Amino acid sequence: MEEYHSGDESWHPLILRLPLQCIEGIIGGMDYNQNKVNQWTASIVEHSLTTLVKQGKHFKYIVNCAIMQKSGAGLHTASSCYWDITTDGSCTVRWENRTMYCVVSVFAVAVSL
Amino acid sequence: MSDMAKEKAARLLKKRGSLSSLGSHEVRAKETAGKTKDSISTVSYIDEPGQHDDNQRHAVQMENTYQLGPVKRFPAMAVNNILKDVLTSYLQEEKYEAELCRQMTKTISEVIKARVKDLMIPRYKIIVLISIGQLSEQNMRFGSRCLWDAGSDTFSSYTFKNSSLFAVANVYAVYYE
Repeated sequence: MEEYHSGDESWHPLILRLPLQCIEGIIGGMDYNQNKVNQWTASIVEHSLTTLVKQGKHFKYIVNCAIMQKSGAGLHTASSCYWDITTDGSCTVRWENRTMYCVVSVFAVAVSL
Repeated sequence: MSDMAKEKAARLLKKRGSLSSLGSHEVRAKETAGKTKDSISTVSYIDEPGQHDDNQRHAVQMENTYQLGPVKRFPAMAVNNILKDVLTSYLQEEKYEAELCRQMTKTISEVIKARVKDLMIPRYKIIVLISIGQLSEQNMRFGSRCLWDAGSDTFSSYTFKNSSLFAVANVYAVYYE
């Protein structure tokens, strides 16, 4: 296992993919359901956050999740961040199935210890 | 814009110290696609380790500030007004069009970031997230959770709607100790 020092951002790719597994676990194989979508967004976001925290890195996390029913409508998302690019990073996961889209954005901001 | 031109623009912006979200998905350093039985997924992130210059690889060692908390707190209400202002002025008369809205999201996120930076709140890192979508028969749900210090970090959010589109703007402010 490699040693990760603060400021070494080579762990970003590995860690920031965890939300994908969370999405798969919670809504994989399901169809869009108005009654449940509230619960789904909450679980995806909480589950991603707890999984990220378990990695034990000294970061503050912001997790954003959008679930949209597929109806031919378009959606655009953009983000602009004012931070230290040597220590902070972000990741966006786009997931779709037959009936819905799910976009999860994770932002990780370093805490200096 | 060709791929080479895009990369050149990205490198230029990086050198200037600001990696602007000029590509909500165009300036992507790495993207991987996955496919399972009935779903498709893509993962993309802006920073690719190893693409930074060598002198930027080592994080600056900070000295202790001996401050217990932020000197000046982040004004969530003022930022709310900024968001209302920017979204209304840019989108009031617009109709949803794919190309227009793609450019609009990038422009608006940059404008909001600039205006929040103008407030000059020291030691705060800022994240602006904008989503613009078409109003049709669909339903959608946005959710957000943050792991941070609730005493010093905060966020501000605003939703705008007109007859053909909706826009959601989120600004997160994280205190750097």
